[in-house]
Amino acid sequence: MPNERPWLTVLLWVVLSIATLFPIYWLFVISVKPAVELFSTPSLFLDTIYWKNYVKVIGDDTLRRYMMNSIIISSGNAVLVTVLAFMACYALSRYDLAGKENIFFWTITNRMAPAAVFLLPFFLLFTQVFAIGDWKLYDTRIGMILLYCTFNLPFAIWTLRPTIDGIPKELDEAATVDGATTWQVITEVIFPLARPGLAVTLILTWVFAWNEFLLAATLTSFNARTITTGLSEYVTTTGTEWGTMASISIITLIPALIIFSVVQRHIVAGLTFGAVKE
Amino acid sequence: MAEVTVRKVEKRYGNVPVIHGVDVDIADGEFVVLVGPSGCGKSTLLRMIAGLEAISGGTVSIGGRVVNEIPPKDRDIAMVFQSYALYPHKTVAENMGFSLKIKGRPKAEIEAKVKRAADILDLGKLLGRYPRQLSGGQRQRVAMGRAIVRDPQVFLFDEPLSNLDAKLRVAMRVEIKELHQRLGTTIVYVTHDQIEAMTMADKIVVMKDGRVEQVGKPLDLYDNPGNVFVAGFIGSPAMNFIKGKIDTRDGQQIFVSNSGSVLPLAGARAQPGQPVIYGIRPEHIDIGPGGLPARVSVLEPTGSETQVFAKLGEDSIDAIVKDRLTVRPGEDLMLRIDPRHAHIFDAKTSARV
Ligand SMILES: Nc1ncnc2c1ncn2[C@@H]1O[C@H](COP(=O)(O)OP(=O)(O)OP(=O)(O)O)[C@@H](O)[C@H]1O
Ligand SMILES: [Mg+2]
Repeated sequence: MPNERPWLTVLLWVVLSIATLFPIYWLFVISVKPAVELFSTPSLFLDTIYWKNYVKVIGDDTLRRYMMNSIIISSGNAVLVTVLAFMACYALSRYDLAGKENIFFWTITNRMAPAAVFLLPFFLLFTQVFAIGDWKLYDTRIGMILLYCTFNLPFAIWTLRPTIDGIPKELDEAATVDGATTWQVITEVIFPLARPGLAVTLILTWVFAWNEFLLAATLTSFNARTITTGLSEYVTTTGTEWGTMASISIITLIPALIIFSVVQRHIVAGLTFGAVKE
Repeated sequence: MAEVTVRKVEKRYGNVPVIHGVDVDIADGEFVVLVGPSGCGKSTLLRMIAGLEAISGGTVSIGGRVVNEIPPKDRDIAMVFQSYALYPHKTVAENMGFSLKIKGRPKAEIEAKVKRAADILDLGKLLGRYPRQLSGGQRQRVAMGRAIVRDPQVFLFDEPLSNLDAKLRVAMRVEIKELHQRLGTTIVYVTHDQIEAMTMADKIVVMKDGRVEQVGKPLDLYDNPGNVFVAGFIGSPAMNFIKGKIDTRDGQQIFVSNSGSVLPLAGARAQPGQPVIYGIRPEHIDIGPGGLPARVSVLEPTGSETQVFAKLGEDSIDAIVKDRLTVRPGEDLMLRIDPRHAHIFDAKTSARV
């Protein structure tokens, strides 16, 4: 259908983009102004740029640690979850497991309760059960990586299953007859064809872990504290350091943008075209 | 190259038996076609030979070695699937070289073998393309190329031509046959198309409902079908069947149909009075004086020949004649049946008598 009024489409997208990007711009404006100016002469325009907030944030060892924690926990969790979900989906899709639809459904039920419901059990597990001598799972990066599996793994299995189911079984069979082992079938045939689905799963689980606040706030104190949680430390009883918070927020967006731009290239449609003639 | 022996092979899905003790012997280098109507278990049998389907009973041997417990990758077979099953993310060359790459063969060897197979199948110009950029016939050839590169003991084909249009199917039929003559590898080929079976096979295995109905050379099956099913399945257009019984007249056995038409027999074939089915192929019926009067219902001229659908009393009968006919539907003509080509089957057991 030819577009009769292209300018209308353009206008629509411009308006939508402004609506979406404006808060981010605002955030940026706040991050590059001294605190005094923020309240004395509120303005949306940038006449001078004040980098002190950034200098302070980047120079702060604690914040750097929080940032590193966030990156390690999110990426570690996203990769672990995606790999596990990939193998789980392959098994669910290709093998006649007894009661596999029940297994599948049961996995999903983990996502049905609000995260807060898990708070207390996890706190007890992390402080009392998974503890060897002085060492506890509480406030560790590995603890957080495993914790997010509870929520991300069911979600990932659910997102990935249609992708794996959509890869014709004849391809597995052809590869098997061609001499491939199950592992080779997975790496040579299934993995390349599942790439778009894997990329989507990776991004979404990464974002979940990156943004998660409640559990991170409860189950970490310092060592494994994430940047999302660290941010809230700037809201204190004596006031809020808006400029610092805004600059941390802007910095927090950067890894997300990098992940998106790297992974997004793999999200392409129609990879299995031409495999089998239906 | 190797022979394939299928002994008393059974297949059950849960409690549902779909193959009931099948025996097939395939000699080294033989081109064997498994043919039968849809759902008769051809693919299942082929997949058991390939190792893609577990064997519920009996044994399958390839090259004298029982392979029941051997996984497909170690059976040294190559399979061409009905859906081609090309790897969509690999180029034609990569598709064809995949099995060698998996085995860790050196690059130069892979390239040489792929090139040789590509030459045989005329795929040289397409080696860099992806499956989605190929036509149906080209994909089919790539699927065959992938099999040839393997240089396997046995080729397994599961209805490789059924997705192609009629013209291409005839061309590929010839190509596959030439390929077999050239490579001499044992081939097990599944189809439900009896013309493919007749034209390509050294030996045909006719299957029905999970059982082997008859095994033989194409023309043997055509000349001496063992039962009504095989008689009706092999040959196109299909054989005419008329129900009736044997009688004797003037010391000669004749066939009397249930509607009273009398058809000739050559020699004594059965007990007088025995209920039988009389089978005669359309191409063994001629038109001319001295025949049996029949009423024409439909004529189908194809240029080279004319198919006549007629009524012999109550019984439908069709004939194929070389002449162009001037009769019209509703008029009578005389059908001359060559009694030497008549087949008599027992009405109860439907076996040949
Ligand atoms: N996974 C399965 N579970 C149960 N029954 C099955 C299964 N696969 C096949 N069958 C049954 O086995 C029988 C043989 O199937 P098969 O695919 O071998 O038939 P075919 O001769 O190849 O038919 P076609 O010409 O349609 O391909 C059929 O009746 C089918 O319903
Ligand atoms: Mg089939």
